[in-house]
Amino acid sequence: MQQAYRYAVLYFLAFSLLLLVSSLLLFDDKIGLSVHGVLEYYLGNEDKFLVEKSWGTILKIILPHIFAFGLFFMVVLHFLLFTKHRTTQLFIKLTYAIFIMGFLELFSPYFIIMGLEFFAYVKLVSFISLELLLLYTLWLLLSSIYQH
Amino acid sequence: MRFTLIKDLKEDMAMKPLLNGLLLFILLYFIADFFVVNASLGLLHEDIKMTLFGNADEFVDPMDKSVFLEYIHGQIFFIMMILLTLSTVYVRLCSIKRYSIIVINTLMLSALLTLISLFLSYFYTPNLLNLYVVSFFIWHILAFIMALHSLWNLNFATSI
Repeated sequence: MQQAYRYAVLYFLAFSLLLLVSSLLLFDDKIGLSVHGVLEYYLGNEDKFLVEKSWGTILKIILPHIFAFGLFFMVVLHFLLFTKHRTTQLFIKLTYAIFIMGFLELFSPYFIIMGLEFFAYVKLVSFISLELLLLYTLWLLLSSIYQH
Repeated sequence: MRFTLIKDLKEDMAMKPLLNGLLLFILLYFIADFFVVNASLGLLHEDIKMTLFGNADEFVDPMDKSVFLEYIHGQIFFIMMILLTLSTVYVRLCSIKRYSIIVINTLMLSALLTLISLFLSYFYTPNLLNLYVVSFFIWHILAFIMALHSLWNLNFATSI
């Protein structure tokens, strides 16, 4: 890879890290990193004057994220194609895991408002797993850049 | 990113209009971004300070924490995607190696500094707002010049 491209990718990784940190802060601030927080955010709480989220409200939140997730995952993962991980099982597993976790993170709120409270766990676990999987991918890319 | 593999972009009748369109839209984005940031956050130190922290004398409320986090989260995504695209096009079209590396480093570092200084200004010290303003203008102007330079080379350079 040309040196200038390598710099561009390196900075992209730095921006990606900022994106992950900001999403963690946002999740913690708006929903909270607990099952109770997730349930309260989506199902509401009369004592705290929190209303239950409707189908439309959830759709408004996830709509830009569906596109952004797809684009971000594709861009980050396609950089792995330029590394030694290209032909490994790890690349395939990471791709499936990231897209599946992204899907669960986006759509689990619908199951919560349908009364399946178990999906509060799914929402939380998928969010944390997604953050960790993306961090791991960023680490793989960073180490590949320095190996060159 | 197929354009990075094509030998002579000027002779490629499919890729040239595509890149022209992309670069024009990137230029339009930077122009529009100036107006949007001016209306939502402000472009100068005092305006930004009032938006973020409010002003009791003028009955302006401070920006809510979740609103600020949503704003910066969206900014990070857009900046990272647009700068990755622009820098890749720029490296391909304006390939003076040492020069392009300096330009890309300045662009990316100032953009990173913009986001980090805004974040730190809101949560820790408003003194960093000046740094935010300076770095914001640096990366916007630099990115604008890079897009113009790429457009020029794509259409008027003898060989790319």
